[in-house]
Amino acid sequence: MTTMASSKKEQTKRTFEQSLARLEKIVDSLEQGDVPLENAIALYEEGIELSKECMETLSKAELKIKKLNKNMSNKIELVDSE
Amino acid sequence: MQDPKNIVSVSEITRRIKGVLEMGFSEVWVQGEVSNIKFHTSGHLYFTLKDEGAQLSAVMWRSRVNQLLFRPNDGMKIIVRGNITVYEPRGNYQIDCLQLQPVGVGELQLAFDRLKQKLNAEGLFDEGHKRPLPAYPQRIGIVTSPTGAAIQDMINILRRRFPSVEVILAPVKVQGIGAAEEIAQAINDLNELGKIDVIIVGRGGGSLEDLWAFNEEIVVRAIYNSSTPVVSAVGHEIDFTISDFVADLRAPTPSAAAELVVKDRAEVIDILQNFSYTMQNLINGRVQSEIDRVNSLVGSYSFNRPLDIVCQRSQTVDNLEHRLRLNIVHFQENVRQRIESFLKRVQSVDPQLTLKRGYAMVYRGDAIVPKMSNLATNDRITIRFSDGDAESTVESLQKKK
Repeated sequence: MTTMASSKKEQTKRTFEQSLARLEKIVDSLEQGDVPLENAIALYEEGIELSKECMETLSKAELKIKKLNKNMSNKIELVDSE
Repeated sequence: MQDPKNIVSVSEITRRIKGVLEMGFSEVWVQGEVSNIKFHTSGHLYFTLKDEGAQLSAVMWRSRVNQLLFRPNDGMKIIVRGNITVYEPRGNYQIDCLQLQPVGVGELQLAFDRLKQKLNAEGLFDEGHKRPLPAYPQRIGIVTSPTGAAIQDMINILRRRFPSVEVILAPVKVQGIGAAEEIAQAINDLNELGKIDVIIVGRGGGSLEDLWAFNEEIVVRAIYNSSTPVVSAVGHEIDFTISDFVADLRAPTPSAAAELVVKDRAEVIDILQNFSYTMQNLINGRVQSEIDRVNSLVGSYSFNRPLDIVCQRSQTVDNLEHRLRLNIVHFQENVRQRIESFLKRVQSVDPQLTLKRGYAMVYRGDAIVPKMSNLATNDRITIRFSDGDAESTVESLQKKK
């Protein structure tokens, strides 16, 4: 169960692409069928959670646009656009 | 008469003119026609830049001549970037050329081919240097004009296809003087800013001259040196720029670039739903198969064996018991026979039987006298026959010879 907890922590740091890759791996592992049942269920739960998170990311509908700007001291900064 | 204090030497006035001219005309762009061109043995290039109304001496030092992408000829129209300088010994002013750029399609094509050839030879277009684009970029850098149609097209497509991304627009001039430098700088800036997954560099369609900035070496090198993958998106499908050759991916148009860098959200949702569905099926199948396994174990021969073994063992016990009984009977019979035969043998050694056959036994008191030598003369002895005893006295003893 500690592995579940730590993998949940990692999920928050994952990019969308990493989450999808993890999902793909989970599906692969489940497909191979050589993981013990308890692990399979834990994997399944992680997978469902991940796919929910990905769906949420996808449903964030607002495109963010920022503009690159150089301030007075010629340092690069981002300013909101539109 | 002039006040002598206001009179200056030739050197002095020339020095002042030099100061005024050089301060006032640094980094100018001048367009004209080349004439009297001389490639000096020193490597420097001298020519006159002229138009219908005037002419201007021009010099380009050897170090810059070496960087020329085309060979200027008499009659060629060019744009010169340079500084006005004054050559004091002759009292001449001239333009010190930093960069020459041909005017007109023929010359541009020439410059294009030269640069392409040169950079190709350097390996800037090598497939091995090209990086794959990330499948799901989170931050997309776009280097283009903030006011053009291209940026609007790209934003619209990104918003429609995959709105959960962030666009970092690096606004630049995309044509005219200084455009190439701005584009190159923007690419560098986006790399310096970091955390950008892919950069689109481009602009909408235009003439060859309009697109020229994307054929400038400084832009091409900035793309090559970018640590972030770069998609070139210049003009229309038929337009090819050197940026297209060096970019990690060439998009035919800015809109196409936007479509190439992000997946369609609907497709990704399909993929996710597919994953969920597959996982659901797999886990259901897995649980069912475990249930089946348990059921088949419960019903299996092995699982029921303990009872089986008990039955088998009890049969063995019965069997053994039967054999035991048989054995006991045998044993008893055996013992009986052995006792009988023993009895017979015992009977056969009964002294009475011997006596009956005519032998006699000698006693002295209660003890049997087995040997003559045990006796002495006058011993009282009893001679026992089968039918009675005879009391007697030993008269004499004679040893067997």
